[in-house]
Amino acid sequence: MKTRRLARMRNQTLLFVALTIFTFVNLVPLIWAALTSVKNPADAFTIPPTIFFQPTIEYHREVWLDRGFVRYLINSLIVSAGTVLISVPIGSLAAYGLSRMPQRRAAPILFGLFTIRMFPHMLLAIPFFVMGSFLNMIDTYPLLILALVAINQPFTIWLMYSFFLDIPRDLDEAAAIDGCNLWQTFRIVILPLVRPGLTVAALFSLLLSYNEFLFALVLTGIKTKTLPVAIASFGGEDVSDWSISAAGAIGIMLPIVVIMLFVQRHLVRGLTIGAVKG
Amino acid sequence: MTVVLLWPLGYAAYLSTFDYYLGSREMRFVGLANYAQLLSETRLWQSLWTTIVIALGSVGVEFALGFVLAFALYRLTFSVRVFMILLFLPHIITPVVATLFLKWILTSNWGLVDATLMTFNIGPPDWLGDPVWAKICVILADAWIFTPFVMLVLYAALQALDQAQIEAASIDGADSWRLIRHIILPSLVPVIVFTVSVRLMDVFRFFDSVYVLTGGGPGTATETITMYTYQLGFQLLQVGKSSALGIITLIIVAAIIATFSHILQRSYGRSG
Repeated sequence: MKTRRLARMRNQTLLFVALTIFTFVNLVPLIWAALTSVKNPADAFTIPPTIFFQPTIEYHREVWLDRGFVRYLINSLIVSAGTVLISVPIGSLAAYGLSRMPQRRAAPILFGLFTIRMFPHMLLAIPFFVMGSFLNMIDTYPLLILALVAINQPFTIWLMYSFFLDIPRDLDEAAAIDGCNLWQTFRIVILPLVRPGLTVAALFSLLLSYNEFLFALVLTGIKTKTLPVAIASFGGEDVSDWSISAAGAIGIMLPIVVIMLFVQRHLVRGLTIGAVKG
Repeated sequence: MTVVLLWPLGYAAYLSTFDYYLGSREMRFVGLANYAQLLSETRLWQSLWTTIVIALGSVGVEFALGFVLAFALYRLTFSVRVFMILLFLPHIITPVVATLFLKWILTSNWGLVDATLMTFNIGPPDWLGDPVWAKICVILADAWIFTPFVMLVLYAALQALDQAQIEAASIDGADSWRLIRHIILPSLVPVIVFTVSVRLMDVFRFFDSVYVLTGGGPGTATETITMYTYQLGFQLLQVGKSSALGIITLIIVAAIIATFSHILQRSYGRSG
């Protein structure tokens, strides 16, 4: 009995060590970028690479203030907020309706939505772009927000649907007997119960619109450029700008890490929606 | 809602039948000529082939690695959540940023990999400039970003497994390998099929990483079908032709969805 417990402990330790090593190696690119962002060019281009150096936050300051990244951040925030504010309310209304429908009628609609979610985005980008240029709306916020709502909507509906399903229908009936009409039932009784769901849907939508690149690339211009587009056009080529673009990239990453800490408990549900439950 | 999404789709189908350059006022109806022209192009078939190679390569890596990680986390009894968050980072950060991180590592001469290899006097290959290595890099980039996703799905599925069955098997003397082979893997089949199909469809809209990492280059070595659509539509401004290519992609993706939902139904049918 004792040897078995020892063997178990040894196995656990080995597993832990292996995972630690893998995780570290896996995160090397990220760590490297973080180090580069606080290095002076003199330290950044040495062979072999330096690990110990005098850190500086000069580049973080420069990228946000002198290179206009604050502007792009504001653009990103406007677009993301717009997307969330439109797609979450629509999503929860639609999902509530679907969850209160007979399964047989809801299933094809949900499957259709799922299929739409799998569309090649490029196919949608072209008509949005052509339409945008006809209406003279390229480089405006509404166009990009509309496009992002379109690609994000199936997801919010699916997510909210799974939360609404968890709420027993008896509650609706009880509310109806107490004299609530449909809207009151939804607003007063059901909605407060799915508040965690709303938060998750909002955060995931925020993440999606903050991270989105293709639509942002083709539908924005100088005025409405979002952070991913800015960093993509900025980083990369010129090696001497490395420290600055690394600082930008790390800066873009930080809010996401914060959001992730908030949603980590719901990560599984948000990202695998439909995958496990079938 | 459906209208919002279907309208652009219909519009794309409509555009695809015109010979239309953005900027010119002229739209000439050409029927299916765009499709005929595309299908006779070697560039299209080449980009399709590239897409398939990248898809199979990255999905393969993601599953092998994702399953090992998921199983390791499943077996680990402590600090699982910390690992989860750390391993998940590459997936949740902006894909463009994640790819830039990788690019900085791989850049010739100054990247971390090259610099390290050169310290040991090994002449590294030109990671992003050589057609074969560039493909491998794109696959690795996709794997870096999406393995956590696969890991998470498999981990969730592992936790939903019937514990009684596993305990019964281990009391009967099954070792870990047999446990995986005969009990765990078979019951994960539906989840695996589903995730593979999701990932395959994702690869057909795979854009950010290729755009940032190689821009489809060198030459057209890493030009996926999405990248080609982008080039046609937004660089060459041949809107009609690129819409037609988009529709072709959609048909391929639809075929994948249909195949997999068929398999899924069959495997569900068998187990229950």
